Amino acid sequence: MNGGHLDDRPRALVVEDEDTLRELIIVTLGEAFACEEATDGDTALELLRASPPDLMLLDVAMPGRSGIDVLREMRADPVLQKVPVCVVSAWQSPGDVAKALEAGADRFLAKPFRVDELASIARSLVERRR
Amino acid sequence: MKRLSLVGRVALLASVVALVVGVIVASALLAVLSLRHAESRESQAKDVTVATLGVQTLAVEIQSSLRGYVLSENPRLNPRFLTLLRGQREQLPGALSQLYRLVADDPVQLRRARTAGQEIHDYLTDYVTPVIAIAKISPADARGPASGDEDRLRTQQIHQELGLILATENARSIHRAVHTKAVARTAVIIGIVGLAGSAVLVLLFGAWVASGVAQPLRRAADAATDVARGDLSVRLDEGGAGEVGALVTAFNSMARSLEVSRRELQLQNERLRESEQHKRDLISMVSHELRTPLAAVLGFTSLLLEREFPPDEQQRYLEIVDTQARRLAALAGDFLDVQLLEGGGFELDLAPFDLIELAHEQTRLFFSHSESHQLILDVPDEPLIVNGDRDRLAQVVGNLLSNAIKYSPEGGEVRVYVGERSGRAVFSVTDSGLGIPTEDRERVFDKFYRGAAKTTTVGGTGLGLAVAREIVTTHGGTIDVDSMLGTGSTFTFELPLSPAPVVSV
Repeated sequence: MNGGHLDDRPRALVVEDEDTLRELIIVTLGEAFACEEATDGDTALELLRASPPDLMLLDVAMPGRSGIDVLREMRADPVLQKVPVCVVSAWQSPGDVAKALEAGADRFLAKPFRVDELASIARSLVERRR
Repeated sequence: MKRLSLVGRVALLASVVALVVGVIVASALLAVLSLRHAESRESQAKDVTVATLGVQTLAVEIQSSLRGYVLSENPRLNPRFLTLLRGQREQLPGALSQLYRLVADDPVQLRRARTAGQEIHDYLTDYVTPVIAIAKISPADARGPASGDEDRLRTQQIHQELGLILATENARSIHRAVHTKAVARTAVIIGIVGLAGSAVLVLLFGAWVASGVAQPLRRAADAATDVARGDLSVRLDEGGAGEVGALVTAFNSMARSLEVSRRELQLQNERLRESEQHKRDLISMVSHELRTPLAAVLGFTSLLLEREFPPDEQQRYLEIVDTQARRLAALAGDFLDVQLLEGGGFELDLAPFDLIELAHEQTRLFFSHSESHQLILDVPDEPLIVNGDRDRLAQVVGNLLSNAIKYSPEGGEVRVYVGERSGRAVFSVTDSGLGIPTEDRERVFDKFYRGAAKTTTVGGTGLGLAVAREIVTTHGGTIDVDSMLGTGSTFTFELPLSPAPVVSV
């Protein structure tokens, strides 16, 4: 996906344990983003601390640390506090949405999602940051 | 000995009370009768005394009349005394016969009375009559001292005899009065004691009825009120006479069975609630599990429709869509199975069949398509008959074989063993995959648990092993997993050999 050249594309971190969905999100974001991937919460936090991205797409139900735990930890970290996060989850009851927003999510996207909606959310979150 | 019924006991006790009261009343009656008898005896003695005194008076009057006649100046001119004497003589037989009659029951007194009577008679015939005859001729001779002595002697004898009768009757009268008093006192004592005894007996009877009947009934009523309020743990002390005992026993058994049914109801309720919760969890889980493949299908379809991709990428995305759509279909089927099996609305179609033949059939089915895996079939030659639902057990074997193929690397070895151990049929499938970490072994049979398969390309619904476990346990069998990391896992299920006990869930 990344061109290998030094680029100024916004960097997106995609955290999702389902291979097909991770691929779907990356394909959807397309060439406009330079994407990094993580399949669990711990790897996500490592990558975040190594270099904070411009956008994060975060699954909730994952083995080990859940997306909500990762989000809380990020919001408690001064460096990662401002990273825009869109939570993408199959758990979408009002309680689940509220929990994600309370933990510090900027947007909540329910699975299955529309690919154009995902793309526009990603764009708007990055533009707001810039 | 059989216990008397309550009615029997009441009747028995009432009879005893009636008998005792009857005896007491009879004694009192006897005492009263004996008192009356004593009184009549006493009055008889008085009558004898009166009759004796009457005879004595007559004797004295006869003597007085005789003296009066003899001592008068001219007895011939004095017929008044003779008239008196005649009247007295006429009265004498009546007075005497009355006396005889009164003392007829007493030989001594009768003898005395007859002696006295004879003496009076002798006095009249041997003395009075001759003296009057003399006095009519010679009054002076009749007044002689000799005759006076004779008169005194004879009348003294009469009085002595009558005096004896009187003294005896007097003594008897005193004795009888004392006896009567004693009898009267006895009668009064018997009456008082009898009355008190009857009262005590009646009180005791009442107390027995109260303690033996009324109190247990009261307690039963209180207990029934408690039961009505919902306290079903209340019990009455067993025992008590006849019908009361039966009531207590019946009450306790009623309370017991009520308690048992309420506990059963509560348990059932609890189970229903759990099953409801379970169903809600399952539905929520399933709807969640459906969203992931659905998101892939919808997402890639939209991308393919909206954007241009190179042919190889198109092909890849279409394959993803295909795989995920199949996963959705499998999920729907497995979900139905889980629902059927857990809901209990599923019945096994039990029949004896050969497990070896099933192993051959299923391995042929799975390995004819998978030439990349190596099958090692370790089964005996002779049939191994189990009593089970062949289609359902084929599903179990199919799930295990498909898992083994899925998790073994290309060219990997899959070993199938069927045999018999301690009276049970054993069926095991060993893969040559990565193995399952110890902490996950318990969870592989949980619904939607897919272990590492989730992050790899291995498909599956996460329901296959859960369904397999339900089927095997419903058959009265067991299923478990043994695994070595890096070497592979062995899934083994055991079934009772035919004839198998009928097992229900």
